[in-house]
Amino acid sequence: MNKPVLSVRQLSVTHRLSGRVVNVLDQVSFDLHQGEILALVGQSGSGKTKTAESILGLLPPDRWDISAQAIELNGSDLAALPESGLRKIRGRSISMIFQEPLTALDPVFTVGNQLCSVFTRHRGQRRREAQTSAQAALGRVGFPDPGHVMRRYPHQLSGGMRQRVMIAMAMACRPSILIADEPTTALDVTTQAQVLDQLVQLGQKDGVSLLLITHDLGIVAQYCDRALVMLDGKIVEQASVEELFANPRHVYTKALLNSAAGAKPK
Amino acid sequence: MRYALNKIFHGLLLVLGVTLISFILMVWFGPDQTYSLVGKNATAEQIAEVRHELGYDRSFALRYAGYLKQLFTLDLGSSHSSGEPVNSILARTIPVTLALMVPGFVLGNLLGIALGLLSVQQKGRWTDRLITGFSVSSMSISFLVIIILMQVILSTPYGLNLFPVRGWQVNDPGSYLKYVAVPTLSLIFITLGYNTRFYRAVFAEEAGRDHIRTARAYGASTATILWKHVLKNSLVPIITRFMFSIPLIVVSGSLLIESYFGIPGIGKVTFDAITSGDQPVLKAVVGLTAIAFVLIQVLTDFLYKLVDPRIG
Repeated sequence: MNKPVLSVRQLSVTHRLSGRVVNVLDQVSFDLHQGEILALVGQSGSGKTKTAESILGLLPPDRWDISAQAIELNGSDLAALPESGLRKIRGRSISMIFQEPLTALDPVFTVGNQLCSVFTRHRGQRRREAQTSAQAALGRVGFPDPGHVMRRYPHQLSGGMRQRVMIAMAMACRPSILIADEPTTALDVTTQAQVLDQLVQLGQKDGVSLLLITHDLGIVAQYCDRALVMLDGKIVEQASVEELFANPRHVYTKALLNSAAGAKPK
Repeated sequence: MRYALNKIFHGLLLVLGVTLISFILMVWFGPDQTYSLVGKNATAEQIAEVRHELGYDRSFALRYAGYLKQLFTLDLGSSHSSGEPVNSILARTIPVTLALMVPGFVLGNLLGIALGLLSVQQKGRWTDRLITGFSVSSMSISFLVIIILMQVILSTPYGLNLFPVRGWQVNDPGSYLKYVAVPTLSLIFITLGYNTRFYRAVFAEEAGRDHIRTARAYGASTATILWKHVLKNSLVPIITRFMFSIPLIVVSGSLLIESYFGIPGIGKVTFDAITSGDQPVLKAVVGLTAIAFVLIQVLTDFLYKLVDPRIG
């Protein structure tokens, strides 16, 4: 297999709240390879989202302590970067799509405004130029009339449309890595498939490595190459999807597979 | 357009309700002026004549209609105690009050917003704790202590002796600054604790929203997040607080400042009218305040629509 784009080593996260310290992530290590679709599976509260947020340095330092031996992105260590360095990575080399498309976009700015700011920030484009780029980005995710969508506010779009706007924003700078945190959990079943298909197709076209956080083993079976199984802040098993379904080793993975009867790898 | 008409219609209903209540409390059940006007040893005819002049013998509906007519035609009669027309009293005192209160009110809010933003940006760190501690202690100090301390420090030979203690002899920008400085500083310090705490709470809530995480995940700087996303999302509560403070600050806030600094504004006039039972003045102040409240509410609704696309 080709060399990893992202390599996380010994990532631990603790949460401090009124004197109590909770270990949220415990020595998490994994690799994400070029063009791969890697699933991060586990129940609610197992630390999937916190893994993604700590890679991007999004956890507020007043409550969260992050320590890692290394978080290497294409050879440079994110764990050693200051906030200003991380800002240049966020949305450009690594982008993220969130679970709730209704609350993930700012309600008082238009879709166009929010999409353009990614281009002005990371590409140094001027307003006009950014608007053209933003329209092109919306066109890529299948909006027939991007100019119209640009002038809409998030609450004027449906859940599926909002999530496609998020995909457009995530793909705006052709990132190396896209982290999708339960991107379809809040959508209805037919929309789920459309959004996921779009995500995967665009990812393959741009050569993006995808870290797909989900608790839906059906999605893992259908779309992913490899899977990490997470339990209580630890990665308890990692294997290719075929092997995971055929021959689960950890007790928790077996239980998880039993609870999702019918999910089969592609 | 339909929205506007609807708002104005509701505003009118509200004016009717508020003026009705103030009419019942102040005029219908208000003090009877007859005996202070007729003097001693009045005959029954004299009493009846005065009561007729005052309109006491008319029905409830007629007197309420008369009150409304006075308010809407701004024909407010004359003060019982000085004989000066109420219109001229208002025209003389309202500009003084506005000149006195506006700088402190605006600066106090802007400073509260700035400290609130700084506090949220530094959340959990010592700057935040310092600001929070300062607001709580400033809220616990009585406004009397603040006013007196300001006067002692800035306006007396015991302190810097830079500004006049009381009065309002304003005829040019220089004298305006001289007379407005200490009241403004006092007003800022009286309100700053409350303002900072309120704005910090609003900003902290907005800073915890999901879309703030999205903005950060796409590389937005702290400044962009605070000044663009947090501030604009907080505008609805900011506008609410700001707008609804206006009538209060003009009438009751200025009452406080004006009486301590001996400034002849609307607050002082209202206070004197209450203590002397000067009804025409009171009726005018209460009625006009109610109308101002309603106008401000209508205006506030329009401002909401401007800042939040989800409203309307």
